[in-house]
Amino acid sequence: MDATTAPHRIPPEMPQYGEANHIFELMQNMLEQLLIHQPEDPIPFMIQHLHRDNDNVPRIVILGPPASGKTTIAMWLCKHLNSNLLSLESLVLNEFSCTATEARRLYLQRKVVPSALLIQLVQERLAKEDCVKWGWILDGIPETREQALRIQTLGIAPRHVIMLSAPDIVLIERNLGKRIDPQTGEIYHTTFDWPPESEIQNRLMVPEGISELETARKLLEYHRNIVRIIPSYPKILKVISADQPCVDVFYQALTYVQSNHRTNAPFTPRVLLLGPVGSGKSLQAALLAQKYGLVNVCCGQLLKEAVADKTTFGEHIRPCFEKGMAVPDGLLMKVLSQRLDQQDCLQRGWVLHGFPRDLDQAHLLNSLGYNPNRVFFLNVPFDSIMERLTLRRIDPVTGERYHLMYKPPPTMEIQARLLQNPKDSEEQVQLKMDLFYRNSADLEQLYESAITLNGDQDPYTVFEYIESGIINPLPKKIP
Amino acid sequence: METRSRELQAAEYLEKHRIKELVSYLTSALLFFRPEKPREYLISLLERLTIAKATGVAFPFFMDNSNVVSMFEMMDSSNRGTISFVQYKEALKTLGLCTEDEDLEDDGHRITLDQFKDEVNKRIKDICEKTKGKDYESYQTATGLLLLH
Repeated sequence: MDATTAPHRIPPEMPQYGEANHIFELMQNMLEQLLIHQPEDPIPFMIQHLHRDNDNVPRIVILGPPASGKTTIAMWLCKHLNSNLLSLESLVLNEFSCTATEARRLYLQRKVVPSALLIQLVQERLAKEDCVKWGWILDGIPETREQALRIQTLGIAPRHVIMLSAPDIVLIERNLGKRIDPQTGEIYHTTFDWPPESEIQNRLMVPEGISELETARKLLEYHRNIVRIIPSYPKILKVISADQPCVDVFYQALTYVQSNHRTNAPFTPRVLLLGPVGSGKSLQAALLAQKYGLVNVCCGQLLKEAVADKTTFGEHIRPCFEKGMAVPDGLLMKVLSQRLDQQDCLQRGWVLHGFPRDLDQAHLLNSLGYNPNRVFFLNVPFDSIMERLTLRRIDPVTGERYHLMYKPPPTMEIQARLLQNPKDSEEQVQLKMDLFYRNSADLEQLYESAITLNGDQDPYTVFEYIESGIINPLPKKIP
Repeated sequence: METRSRELQAAEYLEKHRIKELVSYLTSALLFFRPEKPREYLISLLERLTIAKATGVAFPFFMDNSNVVSMFEMMDSSNRGTISFVQYKEALKTLGLCTEDEDLEDDGHRITLDQFKDEVNKRIKDICEKTKGKDYESYQTATGLLLLH
């Protein structure tokens, strides 16, 4: 979120185009591939890479102890994301490769495949057309650090790594109830995941090696290995607790896999805060401006400044203020564009609040080219707003502002002389809230990638939510 | 040790094929022309580059003759006909013809337009010669546009 130090005065269309089309990520991926493969002739390689267009396909690794539900999650993810599943069994049973026959022989003999052979199989499989086009999900590979390193040297890098974890006792008990359907290969459980159809029930088999001792032994080995695999995937690892219903684990995994990681792309935040009066927009805007150096643009404030400075705009705005009418949109937009076109806004980014109030104003904003790239809706229930606003008081002598609940005046003497702003009376607040809610549905429809937050918490919690919304890439919509 | 040498290897690869300049050129072109479909545009640019290399047809260069002259004039704001040494070094760096650590000789006099043009030409020729091989000829003809007369 820092301004570019190179040329000043970049026309604002350039960063907007860059953000909208994810140019930085595109170039970064291309460069990564170039450096991994280091082809003799870079340009044809780059052309091929661009044609493939597979930057966003799923590349997932699922790790976890036995009986944690890896295979189930992997299969569900596969179906949902329309991708390819790779596991030890599926690789070894592949009939079309001689490496696979060799591996199969060793597997049947000793129940274990040597790492070099296994990773060779993985590499072969990943080079095939369908994996390149639709992505891949590795289930339980790499099992040891050696395998992890081999995968890395071949240039195969997953984008998301999910690690399932649960207490050992739970796993040992769970493994006793494991049953496999020999026809489809799906895994069922006597307690947690019993198939409804009786014909499947009849053909379920008990798999080998699920006795308590066996599971305990496998768990020991797993714990020994996993500690040394985790450091290979520092920023892309997510631990999900497997000690919850399957569906919950699946949904957590799915949301994680579909989210993008933070990128180093240059990004000037243009934040829009929307919410009814009293939801905390000005406070959040002030906090953001302070922490990130954004320019705090409050519409009401701008207009008052224009009037006070007696500018040409101010002269037109003053009669509206005096009569208590809303300022006409055209005038408003002129004042706003004057502020947003200034160099500090363009370079550091801005936080806008108090505008737009309805759909027309929002369209005007977009048409002038000031599209916000993060929009936040602050939701606060009516009672909280009432509480926040109607208890505001001001001390006429010192000018200090108090709140009868959150910041009460220290002495009875001060309390006796406190006054309330007529704009904070119940009816006024009610009017303004109704005005907002009438238009909010349209605005929500217009800003589809907006993030809705619960504004009914303490300001620093809300601030942290806003921060994470700005820093993380926008969530992808499921097509 | 192993990772360090791989890193060096990667840095050498970037240097040898001038990848940084290429990527910089592609990104600038994208942001300047802002095509509707960035991937297709990039593919077309890269294909034009391969054709240029293979047949020696004009290179889609960003800077040409008039750009270098205007660059000089921008730096020489008082129209004296010369630029200072610091400006000259910065200009060469911006054109990608000189690295950060290189030590250019400062003979105490200021640099004229002709000296500037000559230096730019000389450096472009050096770069072409570095990528010798079957591309040598085509690079020469391709930069004919840039060589200033």
